[in-house]
Amino acid sequence: MVLRMRRFDDDPDINDLIDREQQMRLVGLLHALCGEFFSLHSKPQAGAEAVEFNLETIAWLSCSTAPNRQAPAARLLEFILFYVAKYRLAASLHHDTTEASFAELQRQHAALQESEGRYKELSEQLQLRVDEQIKVIEDAQKQLYESARLRAIGQLAAGVAHEINNPIGFIASNLRVAGEYLEELGAKLPSDQATAVVQDDFRALLMESLSGAQRIADIVVDLKTFANIDQEDFLPCDLNQVIASTCHLVEAEFNHDLVIEQRLEPLPQLAGYPAKISQALYNILDNAARAIVPGGRVRITTRVGEDGCSEVLVEDNGCGIAVEDMERLFDPFFTTRPVGTGTGLGLSVARDIIKAHRGEIFVHSKLGVGSRVTLRFLSQ
Amino acid sequence: MAEYLALERKLMLKVVYYGPALSGKTTNLMQLHTLLQPQRKGELMVLETRDDRTLFFDVMPIGLRSASGLDLRLKLYTVPGQVQHDSTRKAVLSRADGVIFVADSQPAQQDNNANAFDNLADNLQKLGMDIERLPVVVQFNKRDLPGAVDEDELQARWSATPWTPLSMASALKGVGVVESFRQLLRRLYPRLDAEFHLTKREGLQEEDFIRYLSSVDGVANA
Repeated sequence: MVLRMRRFDDDPDINDLIDREQQMRLVGLLHALCGEFFSLHSKPQAGAEAVEFNLETIAWLSCSTAPNRQAPAARLLEFILFYVAKYRLAASLHHDTTEASFAELQRQHAALQESEGRYKELSEQLQLRVDEQIKVIEDAQKQLYESARLRAIGQLAAGVAHEINNPIGFIASNLRVAGEYLEELGAKLPSDQATAVVQDDFRALLMESLSGAQRIADIVVDLKTFANIDQEDFLPCDLNQVIASTCHLVEAEFNHDLVIEQRLEPLPQLAGYPAKISQALYNILDNAARAIVPGGRVRITTRVGEDGCSEVLVEDNGCGIAVEDMERLFDPFFTTRPVGTGTGLGLSVARDIIKAHRGEIFVHSKLGVGSRVTLRFLSQ
Repeated sequence: MAEYLALERKLMLKVVYYGPALSGKTTNLMQLHTLLQPQRKGELMVLETRDDRTLFFDVMPIGLRSASGLDLRLKLYTVPGQVQHDSTRKAVLSRADGVIFVADSQPAQQDNNANAFDNLADNLQKLGMDIERLPVVVQFNKRDLPGAVDEDELQARWSATPWTPLSMASALKGVGVVESFRQLLRRLYPRLDAEFHLTKREGLQEEDFIRYLSSVDGVANA
């Protein structure tokens, strides 16, 4: 039998303090002590002596043969029970506090485990975030490298264009003079059939070379415009002319598989850097050209808007732009193309250039239908 | 919390002496045991001690029986003051109806007083009680020691708290012990009256309640 009180500070009854067997032994000892028979009751008993503990009657002791022995025997029992209760109180309290401490320890243990789990999860998340960031940094580095490379190529192209400009000039000029000499020589040559054939062939050769030289000269002009090598300040420029030469450049880039449809209306002169505007247009047209499938259309339109501003529309019937990409279109380094094929700088550079010319740029697009980029330059 | 057994017309209350180690909680109780002549007084039970330091607790029951037949019991407990016995302190403090906080007046003990008081507030909160709502008396003990912190200074320091005025005592000399206890009874009575209608239902006025439980020269039966 486990003797323990419900709570250490609850009032105990006799059975809480000592069990029935020990009560019988106590009563037996009282009998042995004074030769009278005693009985101990946990319920009130007529004529019995109350046994008290802590102001509480916890039992009744009766001795029917010698009632005068009841009182001293009860005091003796109280004396003994006082020390029994002391032990019981201490033991119960000890038990209670040990259990409470254990429960508290278990609670703390559970809390620790939970927090350890949280930290573990957090550290895993952190690792993922670090990996993501490393990837972002690596991509940005690649893209920066790519744009630096492109800039270097642009500078090289500009340098080459400058160097080619002179020789191609005198080659073209010499070819024209050579043609004139051929006419002069022709008058002095025998007029037989064979000589006439050689002479015609020679003329054709010279004409072909001259047209080749002219094409080289055109490319040089375009390259110089694109690379901005001879413009320092805002100049009055003809937007349509810039557009024509940029289209030419883009078409050359795509090996003339691409024909840009040009619908150019006369526009007022615009003060600006033609080379920069050309670069912006190039970027926009390049995007359009890459968006279409073979046989697709790219169209560039210029017109004077209702408020007098110059408008340029670049339209294509290509793949269009996904809705989720629209808001990032102008973010530097945002690109949907694989690294190495696009810098992600095209539209952001274009926007910066247009802004520098007090212009605006808008993009409308529908996935699978096509895109339209609108540029508006305020009237001066 | 006070426990009322309707069948036996018994109301059981618990008052706990709390405070830092060696501030005189057991001495307070021993002096009460010697000085008090309440209607009913049980044995002072001093549980295990080591080097005179309380390990578990001390307890002394006192009681009164009102004219209406209400059997009111009040058990006075002390807790062990040493920091390491916190779980025992909490167990003893549980279901307390009032607390007498015994602080030490020596200047070097002021930090211990503050820590013990925080510990009291903490443990009460853990037990679901609010120190602001519990009847609490703060007693500064050991006033007889030379160098004890000045009373005016202590009273001023505590003046903005709900526990003002403080009670001053020299428990070893039996001074202020009964007064602290009465102060607690005075703060306890309104709570009991509100819950158990001691005046209305039992005809037990505040003055009688205090007199029966804290008389020092014996009281007639109610």
